[in-house]
Amino acid sequence: MDEDVLTTLKILIIGESGVGKSSLLLRFTDDTFDPELAATIGVDFKVKTISVDGNKAKLAIWDTAGQERFRTLTPSYYRGAQGVILVYDVTRRDTFVKLDNWLNELETYCTRNDIVNMLVGNKIDKENREVDRNEGLKFARKHSMLFIEASAKTCDGVQCAFEELVEKIIQTPGLWESENQNKGVKLSHREEGQGGGACGGYCSVL
Amino acid sequence: MAADNEPESEVFEITDFTTASEWERFISKVEEVLNDWKLIGNSLGKPLEKGIFTSGTWEEKSDEISFADFKFSVTHHYLVQESTDKEGKELLEDVIPQSMQDLLCMNNDFPPRAHCLVRWYGLREFVVIAPAAHSDAVLSESKCNLLLSSVSIALGNTGCQVPLFVQIHHKWRRMYVGECQGPGVRTDFEMVHLRKVPNQYTHLSGLLDIFKSKIGCPLTPLPPVSIAIRFTYVLQDWQQYFWPQQPPDIDALVGGEVGGLEFGKLPFGACEDPISELHLATTWPHLTEGIIVDNDVYSDLDPIQAPHWSVRVRKAENPQCLLGDFVTEFFKICRRKESTDEILGRSAFEEEGKETADITHALSKLTEPASVPIHKLSVSNMVHTAKKKIRKHRGVEESPLNNDVLNTILLFLFPDAVSEKSLDGTASTDNNNPPSESEDYNLYNQFKSAPSDSLTYKLALCLCMINFYHGGLKGVAHLWQEFVLEMRFRWENNFLIPGLASGPPDLRCCLLHQKLQMLNCCIERKKARDEGKKTSASDVTNIYPGDAGKAGDQLVPDNLKETDKEKGEVGKSWDSWSDSEEEFFECLSDTEELKGNGQESGKKGGPKEMASLRPEGRLYQHGKLTLLHNGEPLYIPVTQEPAPMTEDLLEEQSEVLAKLGTSAEGAHLRARMQSACLLSDMESFKAANPGCSLEDFVRWYSPRDYIEEEVIDEKGNVVLKGELSARMKIPSNMWVEAWETAKPIPARRQRRLFDDTREAEKVLHYLAIQKPADLARHLLPCVIHAAVLKVKEEESLENISSVKKIIKQIISHSSKVLHFPNPEDKKLEEIIHQITNVEALIARARSLKAKFGTEKCEQEEEKEDLERFVSCLLEQPEVLVTGAGRGHAGRIIHKLFVNAQRAAAMTPPEEELKRMGSPEERRQNSVSDFPPPAGREFILRTTVPRPAPYSKALPQRMYSVLTKEDFRLAAPQVCPGRQLLPGAGIEANLQEKPTHSRHVEAAGRSPARIQLGCNGNNATKNP
Repeated sequence: MDEDVLTTLKILIIGESGVGKSSLLLRFTDDTFDPELAATIGVDFKVKTISVDGNKAKLAIWDTAGQERFRTLTPSYYRGAQGVILVYDVTRRDTFVKLDNWLNELETYCTRNDIVNMLVGNKIDKENREVDRNEGLKFARKHSMLFIEASAKTCDGVQCAFEELVEKIIQTPGLWESENQNKGVKLSHREEGQGGGACGGYCSVL
Repeated sequence: MAADNEPESEVFEITDFTTASEWERFISKVEEVLNDWKLIGNSLGKPLEKGIFTSGTWEEKSDEISFADFKFSVTHHYLVQESTDKEGKELLEDVIPQSMQDLLCMNNDFPPRAHCLVRWYGLREFVVIAPAAHSDAVLSESKCNLLLSSVSIALGNTGCQVPLFVQIHHKWRRMYVGECQGPGVRTDFEMVHLRKVPNQYTHLSGLLDIFKSKIGCPLTPLPPVSIAIRFTYVLQDWQQYFWPQQPPDIDALVGGEVGGLEFGKLPFGACEDPISELHLATTWPHLTEGIIVDNDVYSDLDPIQAPHWSVRVRKAENPQCLLGDFVTEFFKICRRKESTDEILGRSAFEEEGKETADITHALSKLTEPASVPIHKLSVSNMVHTAKKKIRKHRGVEESPLNNDVLNTILLFLFPDAVSEKSLDGTASTDNNNPPSESEDYNLYNQFKSAPSDSLTYKLALCLCMINFYHGGLKGVAHLWQEFVLEMRFRWENNFLIPGLASGPPDLRCCLLHQKLQMLNCCIERKKARDEGKKTSASDVTNIYPGDAGKAGDQLVPDNLKETDKEKGEVGKSWDSWSDSEEEFFECLSDTEELKGNGQESGKKGGPKEMASLRPEGRLYQHGKLTLLHNGEPLYIPVTQEPAPMTEDLLEEQSEVLAKLGTSAEGAHLRARMQSACLLSDMESFKAANPGCSLEDFVRWYSPRDYIEEEVIDEKGNVVLKGELSARMKIPSNMWVEAWETAKPIPARRQRRLFDDTREAEKVLHYLAIQKPADLARHLLPCVIHAAVLKVKEEESLENISSVKKIIKQIISHSSKVLHFPNPEDKKLEEIIHQITNVEALIARARSLKAKFGTEKCEQEEEKEDLERFVSCLLEQPEVLVTGAGRGHAGRIIHKLFVNAQRAAAMTPPEEELKRMGSPEERRQNSVSDFPPPAGREFILRTTVPRPAPYSKALPQRMYSVLTKEDFRLAAPQVCPGRQLLPGAGIEANLQEKPTHSRHVEAAGRSPARIQLGCNGNNATKNP
């Protein structure tokens, strides 16, 4: 099964406690919704292979606990991640307000700067919405993230969110190749002495 | 054949190519290539702008064709021009081809950097057919003619108007003959190449004679010939007093004296002059025949008087650069296979090895409560002990590093060792490095190295220095061994390691740095514990289960169960996930409280007695929250810090977690494994808040899981009613389960979540087994980081914009390479190479500045001009000297030449002055200001009708270059000729075909007359 997998991507889900990180993941991986999902302790881990534009990618998704105390531990999991899903609850403004803290943490602990970030506003099925879609959009634009609103309960936007993220990661050069053949910087604009044909420099005289 | 099903009436016309000769096939291949590249027809581009040959981009396209089994490469060279519309590329009637028009264009004479054909003929576009293999050559005249005939036929058949050349003779001779065909006109590009200049042609008048006889113009008088001349002078002998700038520190460093040593600094600069030659080109761009006299007895061409001066510099190839060598040598260590032991002779780490191999033994020794004597640390003391150990192992052998050097380095690395203050004091101030926010400081983030003020970084620099100046690999191994000894010493004696940021390992740094930080964390905890032990020893001795401590570090569940049973009702499943070490986590701040409560709570415990317990381990009150049951204020407890992790541990841990799989059981198990921290926090919370409930805990720990609602009670009052969230109420979820298991134990008496003893031993063992090669790999990012900083620093003194750009590129390139766990050697080498190049560039800038004396220049304006001139020299292939010989820069160059001439003639300056007479006399008797020109170039041009006076006037041009060992005339012969009809018989073509060139091998004989022109033998049909 692994033979045709293009790459394995590490993705991290973060956000305040109770915004539905684990539910989103469960919806994505198992396509189920469990209203009585226990609060995550530490980090949890799930795997799913998806196909985007004909490219198969294996996703190793790390789901983290949102509680303050667990947070001292989670930053270490940022290491080597190619994508981060930052979740807030559209029915609770405080989870949206705290996004800045999460971004700070991301910035501090991420080992690379080209990592792809996605903002997900969860629980849009609920009626008592407190955060407008436009606010989410604005925030995402300001911090150059992908943005989508979703509901783990009704399944809205969940699949789409993960697919978008993976597509973006695959499109980002150098982010996922294990062996990225970066061509070095050329120091001189023209190599001296290009062999027999052209003669660099002042060859005809001296 | 293909017509089996065609009606009978169809008329077949079979064209038979089966008997085509190799030659015909070759021609058709040439035509095919020309067609493929769309070089057919004529499209006139814009007139060439001044200098476009240098500033524009040249591109080339290549293809390979063969004549029988002889391979040729066909290459199309062209100047990239702003796309003239493809649509506009229609055949223009009766316009002479672009290349012929360009013969007269004077805007690009003497391009500084160009293909020789461009230089000789002023072409903007041409095709060359040359033997593909470098060693191959077309030597015989008949073969040359055959090739040229092919070209001629191909051009005629396709109507291509781009000049087509064939390279003949050995490649180094750069002999090209070619042809260009246009409507009613044809150019034969011919060339004479001799090793020795015939005497009569060493000057302008002789060359004019050739030119005139060649064009054979029937008109009298001849139309005026326009002349462009360039003489090039070479300056090789820079006077000593113009290059005294040896890198100032080199001697001191090479001497190997400790006094001159400054560890932590990198050397910089070139050891030899990175500028080897200066070429001065004096140009007379536009002269007319008769204005100037240049013959074998007299010449008006005085370089001082030339209207244009331009200068180029020749750079020394790969000058030896100190910084580059330094880093390269360090990189070489990465490839060494030897272990430290092998390098240092007999096993120096023998004892170390034993200790680390048997961690249990080390553990019991270290964890014994006996207080460790803290004596003052001094370097000499350290070195002494170290030396003693080494001597013991190595016997009489000399150690690679002498004591003085070793002392200096250790002092540099561990400045706290000599400080008068107590050790911990110094260490902690060292740790509080003001976190500089500057871009430079944060570079370690990009390189994954270590901060520039850290121990790791300094160690890298020291090892680099030792490798280069003090004992090479052996020295490196020796210092590393000392370093590891020092680390152990510090661990055993509770001395913090200086030069490391406090807190958990910084994952943005290199692994070695993380390991040292980890060790520091361990020392910190151990120290806190030991000190706590000392202060409270009298009170709490009975709480420390000494037996458990001695039980050691083994992860044997049975062993654990036993202890658990002894201790009471602790759920074994919980404990098995936390660290097994039977030692307590402890903080200094707790020690006072400990005195009061320790004994009591040690024996009691269990949920039932909770309320009656005295609160313990409180950190501070949590806002206004009160406990739900008894209304007491809610306190945040002192908690255990989570275990610090280095990236390899983390990797290991996440691997273990990931291995549990994605099943429900796996997830459950995973949560269990990570719940030690939760349990510990719950226990601390219970201890701090007697009588608390899970709701209280959740309100502190996960406030969103406590849902409060405004409810109107029976009396109609609005009351806040709270309850746990649904997920917390799930029966037997892990939170509830943990809560039930948790006993009220303050953090300091809980089992340690982080076993510092074990972790420290692991780190020390890890350090001890690193080979010099491993070490070099660990530290290479630091060395690259330091080298980049050094280059940056040096550049800022010179302010070279191109270097700034390259440094930026190096940083971004390195950050990509170094973030991978095992960067390829090739990529690392490339980075080092880039750094060396930048160093050479800066050294060149310095050399030039010194030579042109920019610093000595007094007038501000002139100085600025001169600086600009120098920086142009670095970046451009050729720089125009403003004001030629009379400008400021020109005068300096003049002086450089004069000085070199004097030195060459061994004439002391005074004598020279005495002999100064009239300019004429001086010219003959004394040394002239300039050496004879190393190269002389002449371009002669005119437009004449030929062969008859009524013929169309066509451009004529002759380029000639004379150097010491090379004489070349390149003369396109433009003559009216009928355009060959496509498909015209080969036979016919051949008969009209004249010989195209005659190459005279002049070695030994001097031809009386050089004949250029079209009157020669007819081409032979069968070579």
